[in-house]
Amino acid sequence: MSALSDRPFLRLFVSPAALIAVGFSAAVIAILQFSLRAYIPGELEPGGFSLGNFAQMGKPIYARAFLDTLLICIETALITLVLAYPLAFMLVRAKSRVLKSALLVTAVTPLFLGEVVRTYSWIIVLGNSGFVNSVLLNLGLIDRPLQMMFTTFGVVVALVHVTLPVMVIMLSAAISHIDQGYEKAAASLGASPARTFLTVTLPLSMPGIIAGVTTAFAWTFSAFATPQLIGGGQVNTISTLVYQLGFASFNFPFAAALSLAGLAFTIIVLALFKRATRPLEQLGGQA
Amino acid sequence: MSTMLTNTQHLAPAAQSSSRRNTPAVKIDGVSKAFGDTTALHEAWLTVEKGEFLTLLGPSGCGKTTILNLIAGFLESDRGEIFIDGVPITDEPAYRRDVGIVFQNYALFPHMTVAKNVGYGLKMRGVPKAEIAQRVREALELVKLPGYGDRKPRELSGGQQQRVALARALVIRPKVLLLDEPFSALDKNLRSAMQVELKQIQRRLGVSTVFVTHDQSEALSMSDRIAVMSAGMIRQIGSPTEIYRQPTDRFVASFVGDTNVFQAERRSPSTVSVGGVTVGVRSTDVYDPTAEPVADLFVRPEDLAVADAGTPGTLAGRVTAKVYQGGYTDLYMETPFAEGSVMARLNGQDAVARWPDGANVGLVLPASAGVAFSASRDAG
Amino acid sequence: MNRSPLDWALRLAVVAVVAFLVLPAVVVVIAGFNDRAILTFPPQAFSLKWFERALTYDDFRHGFRNGLIVMLWASSIALTVGAAFAYALHRYDFALKHVLESVLMSSLIIPHFTIGLGLLMLASQMGFGRTFAVVVFCHVVIVLPFVIRSVYISLQNLDQRLELAAASLGAPPWKVLVTIVLPLLAPGLISGWLFAAILSFNEFTGSLFVTSQATQTLPVAMYNYVREYADPTLAALSAIYIVITATLLTVANFYLGLGKVLNVDHAH
Repeated sequence: MSALSDRPFLRLFVSPAALIAVGFSAAVIAILQFSLRAYIPGELEPGGFSLGNFAQMGKPIYARAFLDTLLICIETALITLVLAYPLAFMLVRAKSRVLKSALLVTAVTPLFLGEVVRTYSWIIVLGNSGFVNSVLLNLGLIDRPLQMMFTTFGVVVALVHVTLPVMVIMLSAAISHIDQGYEKAAASLGASPARTFLTVTLPLSMPGIIAGVTTAFAWTFSAFATPQLIGGGQVNTISTLVYQLGFASFNFPFAAALSLAGLAFTIIVLALFKRATRPLEQLGGQA
Repeated sequence: MSTMLTNTQHLAPAAQSSSRRNTPAVKIDGVSKAFGDTTALHEAWLTVEKGEFLTLLGPSGCGKTTILNLIAGFLESDRGEIFIDGVPITDEPAYRRDVGIVFQNYALFPHMTVAKNVGYGLKMRGVPKAEIAQRVREALELVKLPGYGDRKPRELSGGQQQRVALARALVIRPKVLLLDEPFSALDKNLRSAMQVELKQIQRRLGVSTVFVTHDQSEALSMSDRIAVMSAGMIRQIGSPTEIYRQPTDRFVASFVGDTNVFQAERRSPSTVSVGGVTVGVRSTDVYDPTAEPVADLFVRPEDLAVADAGTPGTLAGRVTAKVYQGGYTDLYMETPFAEGSVMARLNGQDAVARWPDGANVGLVLPASAGVAFSASRDAG
Repeated sequence: MNRSPLDWALRLAVVAVVAFLVLPAVVVVIAGFNDRAILTFPPQAFSLKWFERALTYDDFRHGFRNGLIVMLWASSIALTVGAAFAYALHRYDFALKHVLESVLMSSLIIPHFTIGLGLLMLASQMGFGRTFAVVVFCHVVIVLPFVIRSVYISLQNLDQRLELAAASLGAPPWKVLVTIVLPLLAPGLISGWLFAAILSFNEFTGSLFVTSQATQTLPVAMYNYVREYADPTLAALSAIYIVITATLLTVANFYLGLGKVLNVDHAH
């Protein structure tokens, strides 16, 4: 009804974005091209057409890496969800503006610190002579440092910290859209607070939960510094393998094939997740 | 008062050449507009005379706002031509149409002061700064907000915001002023005060005005002429009295004002009978002697009188409720000749005291004040 | 809800999560003041020498300068391109609209190492090498979705009738844009730019692939430092980082209302 009859600036406004989209797509196509060419050891230039890179993917080390990465992603996403929900809930419902702001800044600051600073911080927390071990040793709870560095546990702890802010943001967005009238209605009908939460609030925040889990999964899959530095070569993920293949072995064709496979893997997992959660999403209606 | 007069001269529409004097301010020739499969406006024909206050009245979705947007240039018509001041403007963009508009929510620019808001249109026209300041001051005086220039819109009340919006639309001396439900956000008392004031300003400036509303009492009280619309079509155009007393359309008869509907039979092109009582009608649709003679007779509550039960020439009825309204009383009754209840608007206490709840009465139909339309036609 | 066991459980949970969020930052700040060259807890003596080293170390100074250059270019380009695109996205229907939107938003899902690797390969195919242009393009691709989202949300909150009113008052489209749309979008634009700038300055994985020794940004320099040295220099640098970022965000929250920008707050 209220649109201007012509569309001023349409071409001017869309063209630059289109240009970037083209460049970005070209980069993905470049990966595709590289992945279909043979690796010549000692040469930076790839050889001729070959499907060999994809055949190599069947090796146990890569199958294992895919499985490990998947498990790390799922664990991280679920733990993040459980930790983020109470924070997001209080962030939205807190009555005090100061508390709201403080929670918001606390929750989003790590998002802007970058992976390296955060990972490095966790090295100091989790290291053998780091914060946690020092505290436990001084308290006499343990007599030998716990091994947390170079373990999947350490990697997941740090990754949860990486994905927590974005999960909080997405959950808060969904919770803030919930009309509290529904909760009051449930309470007035005699539902206990716990029951109200389980039957009203939680289902209505489902779209945020799904979006948050999706993003947490994708970010964990994308993470490199954390598994590389905290995993220390003991925890192989797709991202660390791609980097090693590219910059330690200079096997760019195989690195390309592996990252393509990783991309396909992400898309398939997220598509399956989306399909599996479709009935759940509808619980939330339009949010 | 004398300063007020000189001020308003500044705001009056630019002098028109004598040849243009009788050109309508707005002429809409067979304009249609559809959004996808939905017809928003079907072949509208309409003229707004110079200085006229014309109201587009109808329920939401009837196409009245579409007409407004077409005149303003916010929408492009699918068919037909629109003239402003005799010049076809269908291909002119909104910013070259010289149309002033006041939106329902006023749409004041929140980041500008009142003075900057009012002066915006003048600045866009390249008017010199000193003249802008002068004309803005005059416009704010006109809407009784002198000295408010430095405030921000959010510091003003709803009524004040509306005055600013009006000043902003008028200061550019628009060829036509468009008002999109400007009173709907105001509370009742403020609304009637603003209605009177707007009408005075419009009269004084002689600015041609198209006013969109769904409120029929607003339309009746303010307009020179009303165009009643429904479902994308203009049903009737006429003075408020014509629209109220002589609706030419079943929709108009039922939408504008309170009314009672009796089940009637046609007797002749100008008479109908209800329960054996034959009365004349002011207007009716085409009488087809070969068709079923069923019709609905529309009678205004103030035209319906009440007599003792059994009085010859009356319809049997029974009082179901009385609503005291101060200056008058609404007497609700049921009768076998109307589907819902019927209502008579009576003056005088004693008349009301005569008929307690449950009393049997005789309904007196007016001799020729009703209108009748075929029951089958556009039942929606 | 007041004082129910559930309420207490909620508070306890929030305190625990906040502690988890804050813990590494606190620990790293303390570690930065540690006098010894090996990380131990608690520090036996305090000194500022690692801060001095962090601020004078050549690779960091270089990386900081590179990062700043890349950040300014990338965030400004992303802001201009993203804001324009968000406007078109919000206002118009056009050919390939959804394809374009999906491609540009997909960098939220596509792993950054894939984006970096692809751009590295594309650049070498086209003979660019690891120049600043490639780094900037990589960052633009990565931060663009955030700008588009931020501006789009601001556009949703902008009453289009203001633009119609301006047009009816005689403002041609470009003047409506300059006098009405841009000033009213300013908070969204500034926060979009701020987000883009901070994210670009901290972007690591993509940068690792597309930077060379000459173009490496601060996070890449920091990463290389961790792999070579174990002293608390990086802790000192992290501390500086954390303080600056938290301050920026607090200021941004005060002036721009982060809650609205992030779409988590609907109060007026």
